Amino acid sequence: MATGTSVAGSPERPLPAGAYIPGVAYDEMFATDGSIRGHYAALHERISELSARDLAERQRIQDQLFLLQGITFTVYGAEASTEKIIPTDLFPRIIPANEWARIEAGLIQRLTALNMFLGDIYGEQKILKDGIVSRDLVQGAPSYRREMVGLYVPHGAYVNVCGSDLIRQPDGQYAVLEDNLRVPSGVSYMLANRDASRRAFPSAYRKSGVRAVDRYPDLLLNTLRSMGSELSDHPQVVVLTPGVYNSAYFEHAYLARLMGVPLVEGRDLVVHDNCVYMKTTAGLQRVDVIYRRVDDDFLDPLHFRRDSALGAAGLFNAYRAGKVVIANAPGTGVADDKAVYAYVPQIIRYYLGEDTILPNIETFLCREASQLSHVLDNLEHLVVKAVGASGGYGMLVGPHATQAERDTFAEALRANPDNYIAQPTIQLSTAPCLIDGRIEPRHIDLRPFILAAEKTVVTPGALTRVALKRGSLVVNSSQGGGSKDTWVLSEGKTS
Amino acid sequence: MLTASLDYSDSAAETAAIALAAIVDPKVAAARSTPYEAAMNLAFDRDSTVSVVTCLALARENARQMRDQITTEMWEQLNALYLDITGPNSRLAFDEGSSSFLHRIVAGLHLFNGAAEATMSHGEGWRFLSLGAYLERAHLIARLLDVAFDKSRPDAPDRDHLVQVSLLRMACALEPYLRVYTSDIRQAYILEFLLFDKEFPRSIRFTTARIEEHAKALSRYAEFAAAAAPERLAGRLSSLLEFTDPAELATIGAGEILRTVTAECGRIHAAIHDSFVAYPIEQRLHA
Repeated sequence: MATGTSVAGSPERPLPAGAYIPGVAYDEMFATDGSIRGHYAALHERISELSARDLAERQRIQDQLFLLQGITFTVYGAEASTEKIIPTDLFPRIIPANEWARIEAGLIQRLTALNMFLGDIYGEQKILKDGIVSRDLVQGAPSYRREMVGLYVPHGAYVNVCGSDLIRQPDGQYAVLEDNLRVPSGVSYMLANRDASRRAFPSAYRKSGVRAVDRYPDLLLNTLRSMGSELSDHPQVVVLTPGVYNSAYFEHAYLARLMGVPLVEGRDLVVHDNCVYMKTTAGLQRVDVIYRRVDDDFLDPLHFRRDSALGAAGLFNAYRAGKVVIANAPGTGVADDKAVYAYVPQIIRYYLGEDTILPNIETFLCREASQLSHVLDNLEHLVVKAVGASGGYGMLVGPHATQAERDTFAEALRANPDNYIAQPTIQLSTAPCLIDGRIEPRHIDLRPFILAAEKTVVTPGALTRVALKRGSLVVNSSQGGGSKDTWVLSEGKTS
Repeated sequence: MLTASLDYSDSAAETAAIALAAIVDPKVAAARSTPYEAAMNLAFDRDSTVSVVTCLALARENARQMRDQITTEMWEQLNALYLDITGPNSRLAFDEGSSSFLHRIVAGLHLFNGAAEATMSHGEGWRFLSLGAYLERAHLIARLLDVAFDKSRPDAPDRDHLVQVSLLRMACALEPYLRVYTSDIRQAYILEFLLFDKEFPRSIRFTTARIEEHAKALSRYAEFAAAAAPERLAGRLSSLLEFTDPAELATIGAGEILRTVTAECGRIHAAIHDSFVAYPIEQRLHA
C-alpha cells in the first residue's frame, strides 16, 4: 500500500522529503495533495532536520526510559518470564484546536446523556416506557445490574471515568467506535507518552503550543472527592486494584502515587456495620471513595461472583447503605453494550434534545428482521460482533473471512440474532510512524479520557493507539498494537 | 504492604552480602565447583534461592507491589539494577570482568540505600524498611560469625589470615576494623568488633540498637497494646549486646550469644507480623 522512505544507505542524512506515501485512508500529517497539514508544520520541520541515526537514537533512549520506569507487560514462557514495553512510536499525533473543540463537545454531550440514561434505567425507566429503547434489550443484557435499581448516585454520575474509542473516517470526520464505561485503562500511557515526546522533540513541543495533560491525576482526585463530598469533608479515596499480576497494575500504582492516595487490594478492605475500612499497619482506617479497577463481577463475593477474591465481602451492601462510593458505579456496562451503542443518537436526543455531535459508526442490529437480512446478504462487506463480547472475541471480519467461515457465522446469526450487531469495515486514519528506520504510515485510533462528577471534563490529550503491522487495523496492545503521544494544540495554533 | 517491605529490604541486604561473598571468596560457597563457577552461580542461578539474581528479582517484585509506598528514585535504582543483571549482556559482562560486574551490583545496592535515606519520608514506611534491613543484617552477621568461628563444626574453614580478611570484607568491615585494631587481625578482635562495636553500622550491637529504636518508633504509629511486643523483645536483645562485657566472651562462648541473636531476630520478626499485619480485626474495630 505505501512504500517507506529508505535510509539504509545514508544514516547521517535527514530522511528525504516526498518519499512518504500515505495510503487511501485519511492521513493525519499529509493532505491528499501531498502538502503538510498546518498543525504538523513545526514537528515536520524538526523531523526533516534529523538524520535517520538521530531518530533511531531518540527512539532507543525513549524505549530505555519506559523500561527503566517499569512501564511494561509480562510475556510468559521461555526461561523465566520476560518483560516487554508496549512500543511507543517516536512521533506524536497532533490535533488542532478546532477539531479538538468538536471532539470535546461531542464527548461531554455523549457522557452526559449516557449518565442520564443510566440514572433513568436504574430509576423511573422513562426511556423504556416511551419505547425509545426496548426493555428486553436493556434488562436482558448481562451487564444490567438489578441490584442498582433505585440506588442514589451522587450527581447522577454513574460513570466517573470514561475512555471512549474514536476513529477518523476517510472523509476526515471523527466517529465514536466504542464508549468504554466500565473500567477503562490507558490513561497512564497518555501521561508517560507525554513525558517521552517532550524529551524527544522539545523545540517542536514548545513551538506548537501543546496543551498540558499533567493535571489529569489532580482532576481525577477532585472528581472522586466530589463523589464522596456527602460522606465527609475530607473523603478518604483509595484505588482498588486486582493486584500486581493484572496487566494494568502499573497504571493503578501510577495513579495512586500521583494522586497521593493508598493503593489497596480486596484483601486490604474490611466491611463492618456497612462501613468500609482499610487495614493498615496502624490499624483500621475508614474509606469513603473507592476508585475501583476491578470489574463488577469481582467486587463483592456476596453479591456478584462468589469465587471472587479480588473484592471485599459486604462491599456492595455498604454501597447500598450509602456509606461508601464506588467509582465507576456497578452496572455501567449496560450503557456501552454493543447493541445499546446503536441507540446512543436516540438517547442523546431523548435526554438533551440535541443532535449528536460525534456520530456513531453505522450499526445494524441483527435483532431487527429487516436489518438481519441486510447483514446476511452483505456478510462479505461487514464486521459482525457478538453483543456481550469484547477484546476481538466472537467476531467475524467479513472481507477477510473464507466463504465457509461466513456460512458458519450466518447459521449462528440466524440461530441467535439478538446476540449480534454488524458494522461496515472501517478504514482508520493513518499517521507517520518510525518503523525499522523508515517513516511509514500506520493506522491509528484515539482514546480520550473524560471525567464526570459535579462537572464533566475532557483532558486535552489522549492515548493514540497504533496498529504497527503494515495495513493492519487492529490497534489492541495484546495483538501487536503500540501507541503514540497525542498533542492537542491551543487556540491560535491551528492550521 | 508491610510484609512486602520487610522481605524487600531483607533480600536487598542479603544480596549485597552474597555479592560481596562472591567477590572475595567464592570457594566458601561451593567447594565442589571451581571458584569461578561458584561465583557465576551465586550471581545468575535463578533456581537458587540465595543467588543475586533471585534476590534482586524478589526485591523488585516486592517493590512493585508497594510501588505507591516507595519513591521513584528508589524504584528506578532497583529496577536499573535488576535490568542490569537480567539483561542480555550480563553474562558477557561477568565473563569479561566478574569483579567489576559484581562491584557494580554492590555499588548499585549502596545507591539504593542512599536513595531510600535521602528521598523517602522518614515516617512509618521508612521505619519498617529500616527495621527489616537491620533485622536481616543482625541475623546475617550472626550467622556469618557462627559459621566462621564455630570450633565444633568439622567443615569450619581454616582460620588463616586470608579467610579472616575475607570475613571482614564480606561484612564491609575491613577498613573500620583496621582503624580500631590496626592491621593486627585476630579472631577474638573480629568477634569483639562485629559483636560489640558501638559505632560500626554492621556490628550486632549497632544493628540491635537500631532495631529497638525503630520498633519503639513504630509502636507510636499504632496505638494499641499489642504493638508493644516487638518493642519489648527488641529492647531485651539490644540490652544483651549493650551490657555484655566483651571480656566475658571467652567464658560464655560467642556461639551462645550468636544463636540467641539469630533466635531473637526471628521472634521479633514474628511479633511484628502479628502486631502490624496479621492482627485480629475485632481488636481494632473500636480503636
